[in-house]
Amino acid sequence: MKSTISNTLQKLSRRNEPYVFLVLMLLCVLIEIRSGQFFSSNNLVDIASAFAVPGLFAIGAFMVIISGGIDVSFPALASLSVYATTKFLLDVNYQGGVWLAILIALALGAILGAFNGLFIGYFRLPALIVTLGSSSVFKGIMQGALNSKQLTVIPIGMKNFGTSSLFIAKNPVSGLTSRMPVAILAFLIVLFLVYFLMRYTMFGRGLYGIGGSEISAHRAGFGVRNTKFIMYVMVGMIASLAGVMRVCMMQQAHPTNMLGMEMNIIAGVVLGGTAITGGRGTLLGCMLGTLLIVIVENSLILIGVPTSWKSVFTGLLIIIGTGVSAYQVSRMNRVRSVETVAKEVV
Amino acid sequence: MKKILVLMIIVLMVVPMVFAAGQAEKKTGYEIVVVPKDASNPWFVRMKVGVDEYAKETGLNVYQKGTAQIDATLQAQLIQDLIAQGVDALCVVPVDLESLEPVLSQARKAGIVVITHEGAGLENVDYDIEAFSNAGYGAFIMDNLAEAMNFEGVYTTMVASLTNGSHNEWADAGVARQKEAYPKMQLLAAEKRVESFDNGDVAYNGAKELFKKYPKLKGVMGTSSYDAPGVARAIEELGLIGKAFTSGTGMPLDNAALLESGVVQSLTLWDPALAGKAMIALAVKVLDGEKIEGVVDLGVDGYTNMKFKKGSKTVLEGEGWIVINAKNVYDFGF
Repeated sequence: MKSTISNTLQKLSRRNEPYVFLVLMLLCVLIEIRSGQFFSSNNLVDIASAFAVPGLFAIGAFMVIISGGIDVSFPALASLSVYATTKFLLDVNYQGGVWLAILIALALGAILGAFNGLFIGYFRLPALIVTLGSSSVFKGIMQGALNSKQLTVIPIGMKNFGTSSLFIAKNPVSGLTSRMPVAILAFLIVLFLVYFLMRYTMFGRGLYGIGGSEISAHRAGFGVRNTKFIMYVMVGMIASLAGVMRVCMMQQAHPTNMLGMEMNIIAGVVLGGTAITGGRGTLLGCMLGTLLIVIVENSLILIGVPTSWKSVFTGLLIIIGTGVSAYQVSRMNRVRSVETVAKEVV
Repeated sequence: MKKILVLMIIVLMVVPMVFAAGQAEKKTGYEIVVVPKDASNPWFVRMKVGVDEYAKETGLNVYQKGTAQIDATLQAQLIQDLIAQGVDALCVVPVDLESLEPVLSQARKAGIVVITHEGAGLENVDYDIEAFSNAGYGAFIMDNLAEAMNFEGVYTTMVASLTNGSHNEWADAGVARQKEAYPKMQLLAAEKRVESFDNGDVAYNGAKELFKKYPKLKGVMGTSSYDAPGVARAIEELGLIGKAFTSGTGMPLDNAALLESGVVQSLTLWDPALAGKAMIALAVKVLDGEKIEGVVDLGVDGYTNMKFKKGSKTVLEGEGWIVINAKNVYDFGF
């Protein structure tokens, strides 16, 4: 019994999630001490509502990184598909519910994702180069063809969806209220689906396999090209869904203000223990890492960090966090090589 | 065949000249052209309203002519065409300062009076008109915020970033104005200035944090056009309508809903129609040979008390700010 406990502990200590969780808890306690507001009901709701969109993006980025790729185009992809959707629905004066907006955006996202998938999966071009390029293309289409400027009026269905809430949290002391947006459901559904997909389907295991070693995965019988292609299509759809949620919640479609999110999202995924080289990482870790970044971004005023030091603080956290996870990876590799050497000797 | 072609070309060249001559004879006095950044931006459509009004009132040959899209090269070409046409004065809202200098220099050599708007860095101009001084505008935002806050309570300031020149000058001026005029108001000592990165979502989340951390906070002075609308969303969601207030720069139609629902009492801006009128009025003064010195009165609302910017002989600053509230939000068309 004792040995199993110490075994589990030892196993846990090799994984990244416990460290991220620990850092997260420490941060929360720090914020609580400094402000007395962190664990108040409305603040937790605020964090959850701020987490929905980055969370969705992170799920997409996680899948790409697991497969050994990298995607820096998802904010541009999301901006383009949601902007085109909103503009179209405004032009036809659409008065119905949000579902049509979601459907159109998902379809556009799939097409744009297929664009990435075609070049990366079938033509085997480096993912970073392709997505840097497609990111420019998406931005260009938005600014050129769609002549983008801020849309401050959005279709009524999207508007209502953005302001509707699951419940409203009220802080009994300060009397402040916060709404839990319905958009959080979209995030939870996607999270559940992708969790199931990554863990229990051949497709998901194939992504891990391809990320570990493309050649081995191919030899083992995975259709590498198709798997990658389908994955980029899915990631495009997830990103577009995130875009729709963002526009609904902000009550306006701004063509450029999602751009630049990719760096913090990818940092969050890596922070959560996903190996940047692919093949290793858990969705739980990815969510913890992203949550950490979101909390840091949205709590610096609560902690009382002066505005001028804000970016320094965020940057340091990213360096320390990714440093820890990189160290974990290298330690694990060392353990593995020792084990294999020992086996070979025997 | 060739003859016909030549004839057609000649006709094509002569006809416009004849018509142009007719046009010149029809209207008397100066020919003054306003060249905006482009013709389709609602901001400059509004400017055209002012220009046309001025033409109607004075009977001068004044009109606005813009390129189809924002493009520094196209704008320079248009100005060269106008120089060749021999207009009396050009009023330009430059797209790009650098690339316009040589063209404006040509215009002045040709004896054309050159007035610009939002081109304080230009050298080859007679005068440049700015709607306001940064200090004056900052104080004006503060006046609006103070009124909403009933002249008392704790406030803080929001800028796009700490390195943004004009935003920080506005914020500094706002704080100075409060210290001088509103003794019952206090600047939040722990967070004197927060950043919004010109992003409505950052402004919204930042405001939520501020109101949570500092329960006494009653007002936020915004500078970027994303600040006040973002803060307003937070005020609405937190249930602070009527308890917390914000004011700052904002475009009318974008914020119509916020103004009408009373989350925001007033936003501040300057009116491009008046700026257009002021440019022409100044051009007329220069053409008439009036000396431009000391305090200049252009006879346009907000531009009656224009003074030279400190250390500059060409930049004139007015008091052309306006308040946008639920009553006049639909009057501007942008």
